Amino acid sequence: MGVAFVAHCLLNQNSRTDGGAHSAGIYSPMVDVLRAKGWRIEQMPCPELAFTGLNRFWAVREQLDTAAFHRHCERLAEAVAGAISMRVTQGEDVVLVGVEGSPSMGVTITSSDPRRRGRPQWPEGTAEHTSGEGIFVEEIRKALARRGIGFPRVAGETCDLAGHDEAAQRAALEAALEA
Amino acid sequence: MDPDMRSYRIALVADQYVNPPPGGLDAVAAAAQAGWAVMQLPANDYPATVAGPLLAEVAEQAEEFCRHGYRLVLVGGRQGLAEALARAGVAVPDRISPRTSAELTEFLRGQPAPPAAREAGR
Repeated sequence: MGVAFVAHCLLNQNSRTDGGAHSAGIYSPMVDVLRAKGWRIEQMPCPELAFTGLNRFWAVREQLDTAAFHRHCERLAEAVAGAISMRVTQGEDVVLVGVEGSPSMGVTITSSDPRRRGRPQWPEGTAEHTSGEGIFVEEIRKALARRGIGFPRVAGETCDLAGHDEAAQRAALEAALEA
Repeated sequence: MDPDMRSYRIALVADQYVNPPPGGLDAVAAAAQAGWAVMQLPANDYPATVAGPLLAEVAEQAEEFCRHGYRLVLVGGRQGLAEALARAGVAVPDRISPRTSAELTEFLRGQPAPPAAREAGR
């Protein structure tokens, strides 16, 4: 098997934006699959918790897309890339498990709304999810590239997306693990 | 949106309890059963150059949780953790090196309610 570098909140729902914790502590569907298939788990830091804290508002990518947040994510990404590098050097297979729809942890879907600003109210039904990576994942990609290491296969927790389908999520994770 | 289900309880857990050897103590399962979250400590095979930056991030996040009245405990340990926590102004939390899952579960369930949970009415 190999090593799965997982988004912080999969093991620590307390790190999520207020209103976003899906369980008391561990959100286990993805964790259960990884462990059942014999993958080591290594938890990454939560980039938003350490930057805007527990009292942060729900945000889209544009609200975090600042030089300061990129520097912060770069610092965290260097720490994570150091760990990934060591596992790759040891010959381990590595996957990265993010959170789809997240402005920082999305691996194929992030969130975007260039009009979102000011007092935190926005129209219902704003289509904020869009293809792309979150800012932290983007910085991990850069940090690994600086080390000459290819970006790992990815999978994403989809519980925040409309139409979340746990079976489809599991199938996507299994496909990433077995690719 | 569903109501927020956080427990305000977080265990800093040594890697050998997150990725236990066959037959080893599984702290992730015990924490999930007791309603606790996990912050994993860097694996012991990481040298200080790799583990140090990861420990610094663990400590900064621990500081944010402490400041907001979340309850932290330490399961096992990790070289460099106490120093990293001290740099972030966080005391080493109550600690256990459990021999059985039952011992760990009892320890977690015996912790006082976190101030943040009381404030939130839980």
